[in-house]
Amino acid sequence: MNGEGRTRLPYLAAAAAMTAYCIGPIVFMALTAVSRRPDFLSPGAGLEFTAAHFLEVLRTKSLHFLEYFRNSLVVSAVSAALSVSVAAPAAYAITRLEVPGRTAVLFSALAVSMFPQVSLVGYLFRLMTSLGWINTYAALVLPYTAWILPLSLWILTSYFSSVPRDLDRAALIDGCGPLEALRKVIVPVAAPGIFSTALLAFIFAFNELLFALMLTTDHHARTIPVGVALFEGLHGEIPWGAVMAAATLSTAPVVALTLLFQRRIIQGLTRGAVKE
Amino acid sequence: MGGDRTIRETLRGWAFLAPLAVFILGFVFVPVAGTFIDSLHREVTFLPRAFIGLGNYRSLSSDPWFWQSLRFTVLFVLVSVPLELVLGMAFALLLHRPSRARGALRACVLLPWAVPAAVSGRVFELVCNFQYGPANYIAERLGLTVGPVNWLGSAWGAFFALVAGDTWKTAPFVAVLFLAGLSAIPGDLYRQAAVDRAGPLQRFTRITLPLLRPVVVVALLFRTIDALRVFDLVFVLTRGGPGGSTTSLSLYGYDAFAGGDVGYGSAVSVVLFLVAFALSAAYVRIGRFGRGLS
Amino acid sequence: MRMRAIFRVLCAVSAFLAAAAPPSPAGAITFAVGGAPSEFDQWERLAREFEGKTGIRVELLRQPTDTGLRRQGLSVSLQARGSSPDAFLMDVAWLAQFAASGWLEPLDPFLGKEGCAGREAFFPRMIDAVDTYDGRVAALPVYVDGGLLYYRKDLLEKYGLPGPPRTWDELLRYSEVVQRGERRSRPGFYAFVWQGAQYEGLVCDFLEFAGASGEFGVENGAVVIDTPRNREALRFMRDLIGKYGISPPNTYTDMREEEVRTFFQEGNALFERNWPYAFALHESRGSPVRGKTGVAPLPGWSPGGGAASLGGWHAGISRFSESKPESAKFLCYLASYDTQKDLARRLGWNPARRDVYADPELLAKNPHFPELRAVFENARPRPLLPYYSRLSAILQRHVNAALSGMSTPEEALSAARREMQAIVSRYR
Repeated sequence: MNGEGRTRLPYLAAAAAMTAYCIGPIVFMALTAVSRRPDFLSPGAGLEFTAAHFLEVLRTKSLHFLEYFRNSLVVSAVSAALSVSVAAPAAYAITRLEVPGRTAVLFSALAVSMFPQVSLVGYLFRLMTSLGWINTYAALVLPYTAWILPLSLWILTSYFSSVPRDLDRAALIDGCGPLEALRKVIVPVAAPGIFSTALLAFIFAFNELLFALMLTTDHHARTIPVGVALFEGLHGEIPWGAVMAAATLSTAPVVALTLLFQRRIIQGLTRGAVKE
Repeated sequence: MGGDRTIRETLRGWAFLAPLAVFILGFVFVPVAGTFIDSLHREVTFLPRAFIGLGNYRSLSSDPWFWQSLRFTVLFVLVSVPLELVLGMAFALLLHRPSRARGALRACVLLPWAVPAAVSGRVFELVCNFQYGPANYIAERLGLTVGPVNWLGSAWGAFFALVAGDTWKTAPFVAVLFLAGLSAIPGDLYRQAAVDRAGPLQRFTRITLPLLRPVVVVALLFRTIDALRVFDLVFVLTRGGPGGSTTSLSLYGYDAFAGGDVGYGSAVSVVLFLVAFALSAAYVRIGRFGRGLS
Repeated sequence: MRMRAIFRVLCAVSAFLAAAAPPSPAGAITFAVGGAPSEFDQWERLAREFEGKTGIRVELLRQPTDTGLRRQGLSVSLQARGSSPDAFLMDVAWLAQFAASGWLEPLDPFLGKEGCAGREAFFPRMIDAVDTYDGRVAALPVYVDGGLLYYRKDLLEKYGLPGPPRTWDELLRYSEVVQRGERRSRPGFYAFVWQGAQYEGLVCDFLEFAGASGEFGVENGAVVIDTPRNREALRFMRDLIGKYGISPPNTYTDMREEEVRTFFQEGNALFERNWPYAFALHESRGSPVRGKTGVAPLPGWSPGGGAASLGGWHAGISRFSESKPESAKFLCYLASYDTQKDLARRLGWNPARRDVYADPELLAKNPHFPELRAVFENARPRPLLPYYSRLSAILQRHVNAALSGMSTPEEALSAARREMQAIVSRYR
């Protein structure tokens, strides 16, 4: 666009405002977590650094924070891996094989991602109860996988269709089966796409609250979002420093992933939503 | 190619799709169907299960709390979604401009999207806190309020806290979608417009907006559905309060489930499901969404 | 390569899926409690002492402070028939639902044996009316609550008033006199503070305003709430804020236990309706009303016609527990004389056992204990219905609307009756 010089100052101001808006609350969270008092902004109170809140969260055994953390990592990683490995063959079939009804599959998948979670959770609760799976990893991994599948399918379909067909056709002519063609040709070429998909799936599973709230009952399977949400109630004195320390710790993995793989995530998100 | 081969390929294709179908059928479609069936039953912890037809729905229609949560949910969608689209558009335009810091800026903007809603709920709870929150500090500095305001203690304050929390988290997502749309617009069009001496506003309304239309419809659809089923933020930030004024349909359904009335919660969920379904169908028709897909 | 890795993960998945939550180690029980951090420390101490005495380990499951969240958490675990927690603490208002859902193990086989207290040790109003369901004891009271009237001894004296009011009319008269006088030096003075916000506490207050002749319940399938006495009580509550102006205007938006307590403690009120916990705080060091606070039973519409709402927390054992005898031992330990005395001394909790109120050591520290015992002997439970929380939500909403002037007391109670009737017919 033109007029670079004239618009430079307003642009900088707007970009600064945008950055402050986006990271302000995160910085505030982190500062409260390391501040001796939660009201460090008010006049007369200053910011005095302390690690006490972090230590409290990690050391107080009855808070079970590390267990929540472990559960979250395991459940999200397994769900992400599972949904990608289920979605990959499906995306292959949709882009490469003559399957009648593949548009129907794509669109029912899209419809699934529009369902409100609450319209599943009541029945899932009864299902998991009758299976005796409440408060196990399975109770979360299976619904999470199903829940993330539509997104994974759409992104992978988009990536796979951008892989030149000649590549796998050649493999098929060489006598490979379709599964081998998928594994040996398409997967390596579309590896960045698969990685983005898994990354998104991980973040989605990591952040989920409603299923985890209903389908787990204690630290044996409970995930971080539930831990943070129930970290003391609304009444009485809320230990803000400790709450924000817990919030900071639970945000750290997703923030790190986002900063590291910003480009991939944006690619994945837009592939899933915008067909180019 | 013979018919045999086609049949074999079809079978193979279905085999490849089977695991996906099993998962989605087993853990999405069956539960939704189960919820429909449960909603026709009295399914309460302290009474035997019994078929009651539309009994739960009749109770819903005379339940002021249900109407209150429906009203809240609709109002929440109507206020937060347009805000998110406008803010997201502004962010996208800023991010689209070539700059050395573009990568860093994009990462910053993406951060709120990645933060779990449970966490952002807690953060906004503290931001709005009566004693410690920066909301009061900033509002007083700007001369907007006199003395501390108990934001979460009033129906309107709590509503706007929720809108602020939701906008903060999702405007970045909208921005990312729009950014992809913007990069797909050929630069030639803008150069042509510059030759025609079109101002920035004209360029935006005549070129950018029309070409972004499909993306806007997608963003509108995603955001509307997401705001309609809002649960995490409400559960953490206001718990539906004060006085039930910010209870969303999802939260109302959850409260019924967790309180032991699965039948009633299912009826609430079915209503939400139908609203979401009707809205997406309407959008798909209006936006001709996915026209180029098949 | 990558695909193979994914398949390998897939195999690992099945291992994870098969792994259920490990059961608690043998000889250990899980006990779910919530509450403030200071309370939790006490529970940890009790658990340690219990283990020292019996060798049974008690793992505490920490719940949120918010009672609504606590109830939902337990209700989810019990609906799922999980074996953890083995035992838990319940608010008196949940008992009926938990018992009617068949979630509570009957305690009769354990009572009165092996050092465990018998029924007669507890307040009959609690153990017979609240803890007994279908003829069997489903829970044991751990501590008792009942509404009290706190008053400023110094102010009553200053204005030559004889003592705490016995009727609501007296309360109104005293209030008007003292408020007029005190306003000269304290413009923010309001004579009477109570819980008017839309929450469970409002139901307790409303029933107390209605007094012994007030009514709330279900008789032969018909909801009883829209009675002349209840209407009169609601009019009185509304007028305290509006017409008489002796209760602050934010009563129906903000006033819960803590708001009420702080208001009174800062010296801005003559009378306060609150639970017994406020006493220790009013008397704490640095409190402006220290040494000036008196405690009395709540007034009624005639002398002696007052009625406190019964509150408190009870412990029960899950039907799905795999360590019932061990859990029963822990419950009995909580209900023992020594533990009850200890909790009263350290946390100011009111013992659920009657005999502890005569303990000389406690009496020396809490001279108001005999008064309390009398209040608890007569405290009135809220309706014991499994769907009580739904009825309560309706009542809260309508009583609050009447206080704010959005509806008249007559409209409010008749609408509340109609809506409650729909709930009752649904769950009958």
